[in-house]
Amino acid sequence: MKLTAHPELLELLAASHALGTLRGGARRRFEALAREQAPVRAAALVWQSRLASMTELQSPIVPDAAVWTRIRNIIDAEKAQHAIERQRDDANARAAAKPQPQGGWLRSLALWRGATAAGALATVLAVVVGLNLRDQLVNAPAVQYVAVLSDDQAAASMLVTFDPKKKQLVLQRVGSYSEGTDKSLQLWALPPGGAPRSLGVLDNAPALRLAASESDVHQVPTLAVTLEAKGGVPPGSGPKGPIVFKGALIEKTI
Amino acid sequence: MPDNPPMTAPSPDAELMALIDRIGHRDEAALRQLYDRTAPKLMGLAMRVVRQREWAEDVLQEAFLTVWRVAGDYRATLSPPLAWLGLIVRSRALDLLRRRTADRAQLTQEFDELMADTLESDAPNPADTADASEQAWALHQCLSQLESKQREVVSLAYLREMSHGELAEQLKLPLGTVKTWIRRGLEKLRTCMGRFA
Repeated sequence: MKLTAHPELLELLAASHALGTLRGGARRRFEALAREQAPVRAAALVWQSRLASMTELQSPIVPDAAVWTRIRNIIDAEKAQHAIERQRDDANARAAAKPQPQGGWLRSLALWRGATAAGALATVLAVVVGLNLRDQLVNAPAVQYVAVLSDDQAAASMLVTFDPKKKQLVLQRVGSYSEGTDKSLQLWALPPGGAPRSLGVLDNAPALRLAASESDVHQVPTLAVTLEAKGGVPPGSGPKGPIVFKGALIEKTI
Repeated sequence: MPDNPPMTAPSPDAELMALIDRIGHRDEAALRQLYDRTAPKLMGLAMRVVRQREWAEDVLQEAFLTVWRVAGDYRATLSPPLAWLGLIVRSRALDLLRRRTADRAQLTQEFDELMADTLESDAPNPADTADASEQAWALHQCLSQLESKQREVVSLAYLREMSHGELAEQLKLPLGTVKTWIRRGLEKLRTCMGRFA
C-alpha cells in the first residue's frame, strides 16, 4: 500500500509511532516504510518532535537542594579522578621513557598546581581519600614528609615531598614566583633550637630533586626558602637573603 | 537563526541554548545556571513519570550528569533546548522504572489511587508553558482541546511509554475504551497541530 497516497492515515500512524502505542508488527512495517520513503520518515520525525514537547509542559516541582550538591560532588570527583589519571598516564609515559621513573606521588600534582589556596593540602588529601584511591597510595613511593610552602600572602608557592626510598626531596613550584636570573632560591631546614641547615639550591626548573637523607628532615618542623645570590650562599654559611616561602613539614600518616 | 543576533531581548530558547553550549565547553557555572532555570520543570516531569519524589530526584541528578557529559552534542539534535532536556529526563526516568520493574506490583496500588484522582478531575490542562518552546506552546493549545481523560491517556502513553494494554490494566478501563480515547485524541491533535505547522 502506498501510504503517502493517504496523508491522514500516514499522519495517524506517525503520531501513534511517536506516542509509542504503535507496537509489534505494525510498528515494524511502519519503520520499514519510513526507511524506504522519505515522506514517511519525515512524518515520523515531525511527530516525534511534536510529542517530545510534552516533556516541556509538566507543572514544576522544586527539588531538594541536596540534588544540586550531589551533582556538583559527582562532577568534582570525576574531574579529580581524570586529573589523577592524566598525571598517572603522564608519569607512566615518562617512566617508560626514562630509566629513573617519576615518583608516583607526583600523580596528584596537577591538583596541587591548580589549588593555590593555602588550604590546598587538606583539600587534596580529602579528595584523594574521598575518591577511595587507596590503591594509588599503596603503589606510590613511601613519601613520608610533605610541606606546602607559602609566601607572605599565605599563597601556596612550593610543594615539597620527601621520598625515603630514593632519598630525595622533590620540589614543585606551584606559584608564579620568579627569582630573576641573577638570584637563586635556597631551601633550608629550620630545626628547633638549631641553626638553619641548607638542603640545597634550586634552579629554575618547575620541579627538581635534591638528594637528602631522612636525618635531614627528621624532626624538622619547618622548611624555608630564601632568596640568595646566584648559586646560593657558600657552604657552611647561614642564610643571608630574605625568606620568601616557608611552611610546616608534615609527617604523612597514610 | 541562532547565528543572527536578535534585536530584542534573547528568547528563553536562545538563553538555554547558550547555556548548553557553554556546558559543552565544561563550564560548571553554566550548568548551575541551567539547573536553576530548568530543575523545577524537569523535576515536575520526572515526578510525572516515576511518581516518587526520591526517585524523581535521582532521575534529575542522572539527567544533569548526562547533560554535563553530552551537552556538546546538543546542537546536532535540532531540538528546542527544553524539549532536549525533557527527553533526557524522560529517558533516565524510564530507565529507572525498568530497573524497578520488580517493585511494580507494589507501585500499582499507589498508581491506581493517583490515577483515579487524575481521571476524575475536570481541572483545566495543568500545563505550565513558562520557558516552553513555540512547538510546546502549540502542543499545549492542541492538548487543551482534548477532553481531560483523552489528554491524560495520551500524556501517560507518551511520558511513561505505556501500551494500550498497560494503560487499560492500570487505569481499570476496557481496552477498547483506551484505544478509542487515544485514537480520538491523536486525531484531534493531528488536525490541530496541522494548523500550527
